[in-house]
Amino acid sequence: MAEWILTLVILSPLAGVALLMLGGEDRQRLQMTALGMSLVTFALTIVAFVLFHNAIDENGQAGGYHLEKSVAWIGGDSGAEDAPDSASSDIDIRYHVGVDGVSIWLLLLTSFLTPLAVWGSFSGITKRIREYYAFMLLLEVGMLGVFCAMDLLLFYVCFEFTLIPLYFLIGIWGGPEKQKAANKFFIYTVAGSVLTFAGVLYLAYYAFTQIGTFTFDIQTLTSMGQSGAVPIDVQWWLFVAFAAGFAIKVPFFPVHTWLPLAHTEAPTAGSVLLAGVLLKLGTYGFFRLSLPMLPDASFTFAPFMATLAVIGISYAALAAWVQTDVKKLVAYSSVSHLGFCMLGLFSLKMAGVTGSVVYMVNHGLSTGALFLVIGMVYERYHTRDIHQIGGLARPMPWMAFFLVFFTLSSIGLPGLNGFVGEFLVLLGTATSNTETDALAAGPLGYAYAVPAAIGIILGAVYMLWMCQRVLFGPLREPANTPDTSAGLTRDLTLREKLILAPIGVVCVVMGVWPKPVLSTMEPAIAANVFNQVDMDSDQRVALDEADLSVVEAVTVRNSESEGHSL
Amino acid sequence: MTFAEVFAPIAPEVTLLIGVCAVFLIGVSKSAAVRAAVAPLTLLIMLGAMVATATCATTDAAGPVGLAFDELTVYIRWITLAIGLLLLLVNWHVPADGEQGEYFGLMLCSMAGVLLTASANDLVVLFFAIELVSVPTYAMVALSRTDQRASEAALKYFFLGALSAAIMVYGFSFLYGVGGTTTLFATGAVDSLETAFAEGGAINAYAVVGLLLAMSGLAFKVAVVPFHAYAPDVYEGAASPLTGLLGFLPKLAGFVALIRLLSVCQWDLPDSLMWMMWLMAAATMTVGNVLALLQTNVKRILAYSSVSHSGFMMIGLLVGPVLGEGPMHDGVAAVLFYIAVYGMMNLGAFAVLAMLQVRGEAAESLDDLAGLSQRAPVLALAMAVCAFSLMGFPPTAGFLGKVYIFSSAFSLAGDHPFHGPLVTLAVIGVINSAIGAAYYLKIAATCFVRQPREGLGRTEGSMPAFGLAVCSIAMIALFVRPTDLVDRAKNATVSVGQSSNTRVATVDQPHVPHVD
Repeated sequence: MAEWILTLVILSPLAGVALLMLGGEDRQRLQMTALGMSLVTFALTIVAFVLFHNAIDENGQAGGYHLEKSVAWIGGDSGAEDAPDSASSDIDIRYHVGVDGVSIWLLLLTSFLTPLAVWGSFSGITKRIREYYAFMLLLEVGMLGVFCAMDLLLFYVCFEFTLIPLYFLIGIWGGPEKQKAANKFFIYTVAGSVLTFAGVLYLAYYAFTQIGTFTFDIQTLTSMGQSGAVPIDVQWWLFVAFAAGFAIKVPFFPVHTWLPLAHTEAPTAGSVLLAGVLLKLGTYGFFRLSLPMLPDASFTFAPFMATLAVIGISYAALAAWVQTDVKKLVAYSSVSHLGFCMLGLFSLKMAGVTGSVVYMVNHGLSTGALFLVIGMVYERYHTRDIHQIGGLARPMPWMAFFLVFFTLSSIGLPGLNGFVGEFLVLLGTATSNTETDALAAGPLGYAYAVPAAIGIILGAVYMLWMCQRVLFGPLREPANTPDTSAGLTRDLTLREKLILAPIGVVCVVMGVWPKPVLSTMEPAIAANVFNQVDMDSDQRVALDEADLSVVEAVTVRNSESEGHSL
Repeated sequence: MTFAEVFAPIAPEVTLLIGVCAVFLIGVSKSAAVRAAVAPLTLLIMLGAMVATATCATTDAAGPVGLAFDELTVYIRWITLAIGLLLLLVNWHVPADGEQGEYFGLMLCSMAGVLLTASANDLVVLFFAIELVSVPTYAMVALSRTDQRASEAALKYFFLGALSAAIMVYGFSFLYGVGGTTTLFATGAVDSLETAFAEGGAINAYAVVGLLLAMSGLAFKVAVVPFHAYAPDVYEGAASPLTGLLGFLPKLAGFVALIRLLSVCQWDLPDSLMWMMWLMAAATMTVGNVLALLQTNVKRILAYSSVSHSGFMMIGLLVGPVLGEGPMHDGVAAVLFYIAVYGMMNLGAFAVLAMLQVRGEAAESLDDLAGLSQRAPVLALAMAVCAFSLMGFPPTAGFLGKVYIFSSAFSLAGDHPFHGPLVTLAVIGVINSAIGAAYYLKIAATCFVRQPREGLGRTEGSMPAFGLAVCSIAMIALFVRPTDLVDRAKNATVSVGQSSNTRVATVDQPHVPHVD
C-alpha cells in the first residue's frame, strides 16, 4: 500500500477525466464528478501524509524520501540500489516517485487547492463544461507529478505537461485577450524550459562520465553534486540552463512579463492554480535541483540572483501600486512575493531556505484565496476595474471580511501564515554572511535584507489601498449590476463561503502554530541543501533550531497580542 | 546457389514486387467490383511481406549479388511495412476510380525501394533502390488529385528529383574511382569501398568530393537545407494523405543510405565534411522552423516542419553509432527511433487533414481547422496529440525522440574535436524546439480555441480513421513504454557501428557517490 499511494494520488485525477469523458453532457453530473474526484485525490493525499509520518516514525531518516516506488521506464531493469555499480545497465530512466518533508506539503497544497478551484468554477463556467473540468484534472496530474518525481526526466515531463492544460484553460475560457495571453504564456515558458531540457540531458551525461550510468535519478545526481564531483565551469553552465526554465516559471524579474497578462485573462480557477501551485514549480525546481546539484554555482550566482530578487520585489510592488485591474494588482504582488522566495533560497542559510519553502505554501494559500474572492466579485459585476467598483463592504460584508483577511495574510501580518515565511526569509538573508563555527559564510547580508524589507512595506501599502478603494467609501457599482442571473446572491453564497473558509482556517493555523510544518521541512531541507557542508548534521540542525525557535516565539507572542484586535 | 537460396533472404521485397504486378493487372479490370478489391489486396500483400520478414532469418544470409543483410535491414523492413500499413489505410480513398491499380502499385514499388535501400551493398544497387523509392512518388503526386497544383507539384518534384539523382550518381562515380569497386562492405579478400577507405588512412580529396556530391543528392531526398526548396510546394500540391507518405518513405531511404555511406567511412569523416554536415543540420533546423512560423497553410507548415525534423535527425548522424551504448549515446539508434516516430506523428497530422473537407474542398488552411474540437472532438484530440508530439512535448513519443537525439549529441568523447560543436548544435536544437512549439501550438490552438466555421465536414470512408487512431495512440503508448522500439533501434546499429573507439565518451574516474 505505502509504496503505491503516491501513484494512486497522481492517477486519481486521471480516473476523474475518464469518468467525465464517459457520461453525458449533464452539467450537474460533470461538476459533481470533477469535485468528487478531486476530493478523492485530496483524501488520498491525506492518507499519503499519514503514511509518510508513519514511515518516519518507523525508520527515522526524517530528511529522506519515503513512500518510494520505482519502476524501470527506459533502459535498465535493475532497481535503484545497484544501478550505479552494474555495468549491464548504462541507461537509467525510471518512473520513480517519493516524497520528503518538503514535497509532501506542496503535494497537500496542490490537492487542497484543486477541489476548491473546481468548486469555485461551478457558477462561472457555462460553456464546454466537460472539457473544462477534464483540463483542470489533467493540470492537477501534472502538478502532483512534479512534486512526487524522483527522476529528473519524470520531473521534466510533468513540469512541461502542466503547460498543455493550462494553455487551454486560459485560451478557451479566458477573458477578451485570452489567445494572446495563452500564447505568450506558453511560448515564454517553453522558450526557457527547452534550455532546462538541454541542461537535464547534459547533467545525466555528466553523471555517465562520472559513474558510468546515464542516470536521471535525483538522489544520485544530488549526491554527485554534493560530493563536489562536478567542476565549477560545468556547474556554471548547468545553472544557467536550469535557471532559464525555472526563473521564467517563478516568474523572476525581469522575465516575469507573461504573468500579469496570463493572470488577467485566465478564468478564476486557472488563476488560483497558476498562482497557488504552478509558480512554485519554478522555485521548487531551484530548491530541488539547482541548489543541491550545483552548490558551487548556486553560491557564485547567489548575489546576482538576490540582486534581481530584490529589484523584482520593489519593482513589482511599485507596478502593482498603479494597477487599476484588481486581478493584475494581485498578479504583480505574486511577482513581488516570489522575489522573497528566491531571496530566501539564495541566502543559502537554513533559516532563509526554510522560510522560502514555507513561503511557497503560504503564498499558494493566500494568493489563491485572493484570486477566488476577486473571481466572485467579477462574476457579480463583470469588471475588476478599481474605478468602477467601490464601497462594497456594505452590500457584501462576507466578501469584505474574506478580502481583508486574505490581504492581511498576504502582506504578512503576524499571527497569520504569511508572516512566518517572510520573517524567516529576512532573517536568513540578513544573517547570511555571518560565519559561525558550523556554517560557512553565506553570500548575502543586510544589503539585501533591508531593501527587501522595504518591499514588504510597499506590499502593505498597495494591498491595503486596494482594499480601501474596493470595500470602503461611497458605493460604486456599474449599471445593471450585481448580476445574479447565475444563481448568485448579492453577498457570497453558502458555496462561496465554504470555499473560502477552509483556506482561512489553514491560514490561521499555519500562522499561529507553524511548528509541525517547520519540523517536517527542516530535516528534508538540511539533507537536500546543506549536506555538502562538512559537518555533523545534528550539530547543524541544532544550530538552526535556535534560529527557528526565535521565530516561533515571536509568532506566538504576536498572535496572542493581536488576537483581540482582529 | 539454388533459386531458393538466392531469393529466400529477399522474400519481403519479392512479395512486394509480385504484388506490384498483381495490383497493376487487377487495376485495369473493367469490373468496378474487381477494381474496388485493389486496396484490400494491397493490404494483404503488405501483410504477406510482413510474414516474409518475420520468417526469413536474414542477418547472415548470402542473397543476390549487391545485397547484404544485417540488423539494420530487418529494422527498416519492419518500420517500413508497419508504417506502410498505416500509409495505406490513410490513402485508402485517395485514388479516383480506375486509378487504384496505378496508385497502390506505385506505393508498393516505393516501399520495395526502401526495403532494397536497407539491404543494398553496392553503389549501383543503392542508386537503383533510392530511385525506386522516388520515381513512383513523382507519379503518385500527379495521380493523387485532379488539381492543376498537383500536376505542377509533380513536375517540380520530378525535375528537382532527377537533378538530385544525377548529382548523387556523379558522386558515386567519384567513390568508384577512389575505391576501384562499387561494393560497400565485404568480408575476406574481396575489394570493398570500406577497406579502400580504411587502407588509405585518411580519406583523400577525390573521395571527399564524391561523398560531398553523394550526400548532396541524398540531402534532397531527406529535404535538408539547402536542398529543401521543393518540399513546401510539393506537399501543398499533393493530396494530404499522400503527403504523409512523401514525408516518410523518401526520408527513410535517404537516411538509411546516409547511414550506409558514413558507415563505409567508418564514421570517421574529414573535418571539412563534418563541418558541412554541422552547418547543414543547424541551417536545416533553423530555416525549417522559422519559415514554418510564417505559413498559414497547414500543409506548408508541416512541410517546413518536416525540413526541421530532418535537421534534428542530422544531429544523430553527426554523432554516429557508439557500440552497445543504446540510444542515449548512439546517434544512429536515436535517428532510427526518431524517424519511426516521426513517420507516425507526421502521418497522423496529415490524416486529420485528409478526413476533413470544407464545402467539398480538402481542408488545408489553419482557418479550416478552426473549432474542430466542437465539431469532431476525437479528430481534434488526435490532431493535438500529433501536434504535441511533433513539438517534442511530453507525454508523447516525440518527446522521447528529442531526448535521444539531444542526449546522443553529448556522447562524443570529451577530447573529440567535435564534442564542443555538437553540444552547441544540441543547444541550437533545443532553441529550435521552442520556435517549433510556436507553430505546432498554433495548429492545436486553432482546433480547440477558435470558434468553428461553417461548412466543415468529414470526408467519406472510415479507413483513414483507423490509420489515424493507430498513429495517435501509438504516440502515447510509445511514450509510456518505449522499450520495445528502443531496443530494436539499438540492436539495429550493431553492424553499422564500426566506429573507432576515440569517439566514445568514457567514464573518467571510478567515482561512485552512493545513495544512502
